[in-house]
Amino acid sequence: MTFRDMIDLAAGNLWRMKLRTGLTVAGVVIAIAAFVAMLSFGAGNQRVIREQFDELGLFSMVIVRPGEATDTTVATELTDSSITMFSQLEGVSLVYPYDAFQLTADVLDTQLEASAQALTVSALHTPFFSDYRAGRPFTSDSSHEAVVTSVLLQDLGLENADTLIGSQLILSVRQSVIDSALIHLLDLGDGGFERRVRAIEFRKLRDADYRDSILSAELGSAISRFVDGYMNATVPVAETLTVVGVLNGRRHGRASVKQILLPASIARRLAGSGFNIGNPSAMVTALASGRISFQTNGEDNRTYNQVTVLMTETASYEKLRDTIQAMGYNTFSFAEQFKEIRRAMIYFNMGIGLIGLIALITASLGIANTMIMSIMERTREIGMLISLGATSGDIKVIFLVESGVIGAVGAILGIIFGWLISRLGSTIVQTIMEHEGITPIDIFDLPLWLITIAFAFGTVVAVLAGLYPASRAARIDPVKALRGE
Amino acid sequence: MTTPIIRTESLTRFYQRGPHEVRAVDGVSLSVSTGEFVALVGASGSGKTTLLNLLAGLDTPTSGDIWSAGTRLCDLSARELARYRAQRVGVVFQTFNLVGHRTALANVELALYFTDIPRHERRQHAARLLEDLGLGDRLDHRPADLSGGEQQRVALARALVKNPTVLFADEPTGNLDSDNSDKIADLLIDLNRRGLTIVLVTHDQELAARCARRVVRMHYGKIVDDSSTEPGESAP
Ligand SMILES: Nc1ncnc2c1ncn2[C@@H]1O[C@H](COP(=O)(O)OP(=O)(O)OP(=O)(O)O)[C@@H](O)[C@H]1O
Ligand SMILES: [Mg+2]
Repeated sequence: MTFRDMIDLAAGNLWRMKLRTGLTVAGVVIAIAAFVAMLSFGAGNQRVIREQFDELGLFSMVIVRPGEATDTTVATELTDSSITMFSQLEGVSLVYPYDAFQLTADVLDTQLEASAQALTVSALHTPFFSDYRAGRPFTSDSSHEAVVTSVLLQDLGLENADTLIGSQLILSVRQSVIDSALIHLLDLGDGGFERRVRAIEFRKLRDADYRDSILSAELGSAISRFVDGYMNATVPVAETLTVVGVLNGRRHGRASVKQILLPASIARRLAGSGFNIGNPSAMVTALASGRISFQTNGEDNRTYNQVTVLMTETASYEKLRDTIQAMGYNTFSFAEQFKEIRRAMIYFNMGIGLIGLIALITASLGIANTMIMSIMERTREIGMLISLGATSGDIKVIFLVESGVIGAVGAILGIIFGWLISRLGSTIVQTIMEHEGITPIDIFDLPLWLITIAFAFGTVVAVLAGLYPASRAARIDPVKALRGE
Repeated sequence: MTTPIIRTESLTRFYQRGPHEVRAVDGVSLSVSTGEFVALVGASGSGKTTLLNLLAGLDTPTSGDIWSAGTRLCDLSARELARYRAQRVGVVFQTFNLVGHRTALANVELALYFTDIPRHERRQHAARLLEDLGLGDRLDHRPADLSGGEQQRVALARALVKNPTVLFADEPTGNLDSDNSDKIADLLIDLNRRGLTIVLVTHDQELAARCARRVVRMHYGKIVDDSSTEPGESAP
């Protein structure tokens, strides 16, 4: 007896009992369809996240932040020399700081407060800044061009990104220039000011207690006049740029994009030579950050609160992370985050799998019931098969094949139904997304591994459900089965 | 006498029914030669069916031996015994035992599932035999749509389609009217003439006398009479 004969026998018997077989198969179909639909949601989400990560080059991005002081170590700051240091590490392709500041923007007859970010051309050409809604990147670090994000577009109440391309963008910052302030102070004849300011440990000004103690000690004296002087000695600095590109302003956790992206040297002119005096505490921060200084070693004293390190394709983020962490910095890597997302996904999938298994076990009771009924009705036929030369093993296999066919057919239909459900779900979700103004994406996926697992799952559980009935069939005594009525 | 095709020695088959032991077959030593037509007669409950099932390899003896063409059945593995049933013996039952949802042709074909005959030849074999038995226009009929005589002929075809060396027929005419009984009897006689060894169980004396040259009588599980008539001689 060949396997094909067994399939023939099984199919024939199942086909004969269409209603009963149909109902039994329906149980499997429901379980598998639910399993497939839910897991295809999980798989789709994972794919969408990976695609987004890939598109923005997040897998090769490591975000570095300053390290806090601990009992045994001092705080490590991110300076231009740390950037140089990072860029010399093995496997690093590009390092750029997150250099953001507030400014006033005039565009299309609207004035608004905005935040801007300085970027070099090479940083702007990385995948993270590649999602253009319109236009292109700026061409050099000193070109009078700017790229804005869709967030600015929204702030301006605009729908169409193209309307911004080519328009004039006037950026202005009210700056305190160190010289003018000093002149102002020197005019007051307070010769001890510089000495006293030098006595202040600027790096410790970040510490609130220290800052308070300094401010209260100096209150009413030179510092307050210093503040006053700065307040009154501001000069507006402005740059007129052309908007050349509009980026989609998606945020990705730790890596965010400001509304306006400026070429590095333009930004330096706006923000580099002084500080924005929104309020005195911002000034103190500026002092602490070294953005202003009494020494003219300027650039080297700048600190950043975030630096982005991009790796070459072959580099391992674990190694880079460990190296940078060993230098005392904090790191964040999207590759690691994705790993965690995947781990969470595995638990999610296992949970779904468990629900699917419970549904399938319920269906398998139906299979067992159908098989037992069928075997009881066919006792005489089984006896006949034995008398014609079937072994008890053959009988067992015949019935296992029969329950396996129920499982396989149920699984195939279940996969098709699950797919239909996921298509329906996808259509609904995409309609909602479109309605909400989000670019619609398909968050359902039916990968081959899912089809394989669902099919195997359905068939194996069905065969297991047939084990007991089949072994009962195999124990049938042909003499009794064939005797008389 | 030619070589025995089937031979038993002190064959017993006991059933335990509550505290009682039913000796359905009790020390039977019987030898059937190739080409013989043996009628097994006896009162109801004398153990004819039990003996037949033992010979057909469907039942296992309590004690004693069965040899078939030199092989001892109890030495065979379950698989070999199944092969013995599949290829060497054909069985016809009193109650036809056709599979109700299969056509006449499919019922006969079923017997070939366990032989070496290739898939594509099974249908031809089965159809040809049914035609030989006068059922050429009944191939696609289900048992319920056939008369008793036709059903028994389908059952006979199923037993014969694999070309067995022995045919065991357990009251093949028990459920048939005399016309149909005669038809079956003629078929059996014809088959035997063509060389098939037949063991026929019946309690119809007339049928036994008409078909068989050798009549074996059983009584309470034992063989009480074993008489042969010469060819051409009529029954006493
Ligand atoms: N499975 C069984 N369990 C217990 N006793 C049985 C079993 N099968 C048969 N018997 C008994 O064995 C004896 C022989 O039965 P068997 O069927 O062989 O008789 P038989 O000669 O074929 O009778 P009949 O002419 O009525 O068919 C009977 O007494 C019967 O009751
Ligand atoms: Mg009987």
